[in-house]
Amino acid sequence: MRSDQKVLEELTAIQAADIEAALDPAETDGVYRDSRECAALALAGGSGGLLLSPPAPRPKKG
Amino acid sequence: MEQSGTSALLQGAVQDLASGVVSALRGGGHPRVVLPADTGGAAGELALAAVRVLGADAMLPSVLLRTPPDPAEAAVFRKAVEAHPPRPDAALSVRWSHWGMARTLRRIDPSSPAGPPDEPGTGALDEADWQSLTRQLAVLAPLALPGEDCAVSRAAVRRPVDVARGFVRAVRRRDWRQAAGAGRWLTLLPGVPDTLGLVSGLDFVELMGGQDPLVALHVQAARLMRTGAPV
Repeated sequence: MRSDQKVLEELTAIQAADIEAALDPAETDGVYRDSRECAALALAGGSGGLLLSPPAPRPKKG
Repeated sequence: MEQSGTSALLQGAVQDLASGVVSALRGGGHPRVVLPADTGGAAGELALAAVRVLGADAMLPSVLLRTPPDPAEAAVFRKAVEAHPPRPDAALSVRWSHWGMARTLRRIDPSSPAGPPDEPGTGALDEADWQSLTRQLAVLAPLALPGEDCAVSRAAVRRPVDVARGFVRAVRRRDWRQAAGAGRWLTLLPGVPDTLGLVSGLDFVELMGGQDPLVALHVQAARLMRTGAPV
């Protein structure tokens, strides 16, 4: 059986690809706001006109 | 997509490091020493990789708060810069991240050569649509520092309205990291529309995404820069 130290060393053998992937992440999938967040934004708002404007249309299916 | 064990470990180490930077920026009792000691071995390798991923922001407390870096900390930062140079065909963000670290190293280490290092190209950044521009700038948010000029910052200065649109888009998509990075850039840009509500927008980003240390780091940096941190 391998020692914990050996396993740790294998796991932490950082490859350049891991670093590059972390430095150049793909854009995450968008998640649209729900009403709870809109309410929080309104409270935090003030003059945030653009942030409080109606949400962008969702992509049409099909 | 499932992360490899190595990737997950690296992401965790980066988050831990970012938490230390946020704490230092907030003056949480340890204003200077953030970086791990150079321990060598597997743990040391992981720590260096985490410093490389966090980039120039690993030294942000020293830069923004204008405190001399701990020598051991500067040595770890230098080692991370030297241990992980970008490949010639690496992505734009990888090359600019390394350039940003080299610039910071020259700023904090008097033994380094004077002047900024040679800049990598900006590729298609100038022609990028506003969504891509914002995504790229957010990834390169460690370059957003007051008084520091480079081709990336000049590209941002030329397009404040596009970055503002990207900030709003990121908020609506709940991409808090991108929103925080874009907001940090916007803090420095002239010509940002007042109607954006940047200050309250950043408050909202922190409220919703601030449990992520990378989000908190950019928001805190933006606040310090907006309120005139001594840089």
